[in-house]
Amino acid sequence: MIFVVVPALNALRYSLTRWDGLGEPVWVGLRNFISIWQSGSVFINALKHNLFLMFVPGLFVLTLALFFAYTIHQRIPGARLFRVAFFFPNIISSVAIALLWVLIYSPTKVGLLNNIRLFFHHLFSHRLFSHIRHFFHAPEAYPFTAYPFTESSHLLWAVVPMMIWSATGFYMVLFLAAMENIPETYYEAARLDGATATQLFFRITLPLMWDVLTTGIIFLVVGGLKVFDAIWIMENSHPNEKTHTLATLMYTKVFEEYNIGYGTAIAVLLFVLVLLATLLSFRLLRRERLEY
Amino acid sequence: MPTPKFNVSSGIRYVILVVYLVVVVFPLLWVFYTSAKNTQEIYNQPFGLPKIITHPDAQSLATLQTNYRRAWVDNHFGMYFINSIKVVSISLGGILLLGSMAAYVLARFEFRGRNFLYYLFLSGLLIPMQLILIPLFFQYSSMSEFLTRTFAPLARSLGMGELTVSLHDSHEGLILIYIAASLPFTVFTLTAFFRTLPSEIREAAQIDGASEYRIFFSVMMSLAKPGLVTVAIFNFLGLWNEYLFGLVFLNNNALKTLPLGLASIGMQAQYKSDFGLLFAGLVIVMLPTLAVYSFLQEKLTRGITVGAIKG
Repeated sequence: MIFVVVPALNALRYSLTRWDGLGEPVWVGLRNFISIWQSGSVFINALKHNLFLMFVPGLFVLTLALFFAYTIHQRIPGARLFRVAFFFPNIISSVAIALLWVLIYSPTKVGLLNNIRLFFHHLFSHRLFSHIRHFFHAPEAYPFTAYPFTESSHLLWAVVPMMIWSATGFYMVLFLAAMENIPETYYEAARLDGATATQLFFRITLPLMWDVLTTGIIFLVVGGLKVFDAIWIMENSHPNEKTHTLATLMYTKVFEEYNIGYGTAIAVLLFVLVLLATLLSFRLLRRERLEY
Repeated sequence: MPTPKFNVSSGIRYVILVVYLVVVVFPLLWVFYTSAKNTQEIYNQPFGLPKIITHPDAQSLATLQTNYRRAWVDNHFGMYFINSIKVVSISLGGILLLGSMAAYVLARFEFRGRNFLYYLFLSGLLIPMQLILIPLFFQYSSMSEFLTRTFAPLARSLGMGELTVSLHDSHEGLILIYIAASLPFTVFTLTAFFRTLPSEIREAAQIDGASEYRIFFSVMMSLAKPGLVTVAIFNFLGLWNEYLFGLVFLNNNALKTLPLGLASIGMQAQYKSDFGLLFAGLVIVMLPTLAVYSFLQEKLTRGITVGAIKG
């Protein structure tokens, strides 16, 4: 309790003060919250980045995880291998994952993606493709330039594949567990009635695993609000207004700008957002619970 | 749902799965085998196999050793590793002991305020750790002062010299947070687990004259082993990879855990393009969790399964 409840209450207290961490906190009422909305840009931008990192990767993760779970559930050969391998990224330190993807995106000769681009560059420079180049009015030869994938201006997009890569396996295992829990007889009965595979999925599988799907969505939403490590590492611990998330902004405000009141106000809003998002997801996604 | 009919659509789906398998596994393999190459080799042929596989000789072995020696000794990964082992194992011990005791009491005994206590633990699941991070940081100063004032006279009278407790920049401080932060999930999971154990067992042990402590430590703990293992795996993975709390609470390089060490060295290695070191460091951080996962993979996924079904 000393470690969770007391600090949580203290957070509320700090968020109403102006404090540099050394002198006495000065009571300022709601001024921190007001300045968050007024100065707007930094906080609102960070919030937008969080929403982006919640929805864009989340959508891909859910779709892919459902697709993989559904396919693996059909007892395809190598199902176990897929299940074990896809889960692998989930157990790796987020710091290691971020550094690994910095290497993958690297504009130096090591960068995996730029090497793939280089490969296609060479391929299309080959004279076999001269007709195609001619057709598209492309120049005969142009120098290859490495693309800086992790530039601040589009870093958030670069984080998307990384998040998909690291998260999909977990949700796949989660959904697979739910699918395996659905009794076989339902499918047999439906198939006797002439249901197609699509119908089986949307009429039986999805409704009967709705609870687990809801859990998954809430995990993704809350996870998107809390993103810190990925941005922090990829931005070399100096995110800017184009890349800050709520958590990195909070850290920077408190531990680099010594603006504890403001930073804590962000933390309080983060908590409120997590709570709201959780309740809202429950509300929106609630269906009649199907017992089976 | 066995419908192993082969048709075009299932073929396409299979191909997609195999492609994704490559996307997931190749980067990991790449990290492992590249850690056996020196920076020059990495630059010349970023994706070629290392000489230790193609032409195993004394020199290629020396390259491998150089990378790991530079990471482990010169760049202190060995020290970070030991710090991580220490912090994570003590935290895990505390979490399992406190968590199982709290969960057992909450699951098996009727008393006033039980529900209140249970929901207090649950509220910890909803409160994001980022909220308590900053207040805890400042709270630690007054807590350290208080502990020093309380225990310094005792230490003096025991002849242990001057004692100053500092939770800032110390493993003790980090361990306390780790335990506190992990307890809500642990208590929640273990309470559900203890509730599934039949209460007749406790009654039988009581009739045999076992004390409550005996019942808990020798009967219940052994019955709860599967639950404890699951909780231990999840907490191990979470704490071994934890970054933000460490970043806030540890400044002294000699105390840093692996993710912190990797982050600072990784960010420098980017600038210096010291890829040999970076790849070796990545392997050192990834290996323990990969090992745990390989050995306990079934238990881990079953843990998720049980959680999923219970909601």
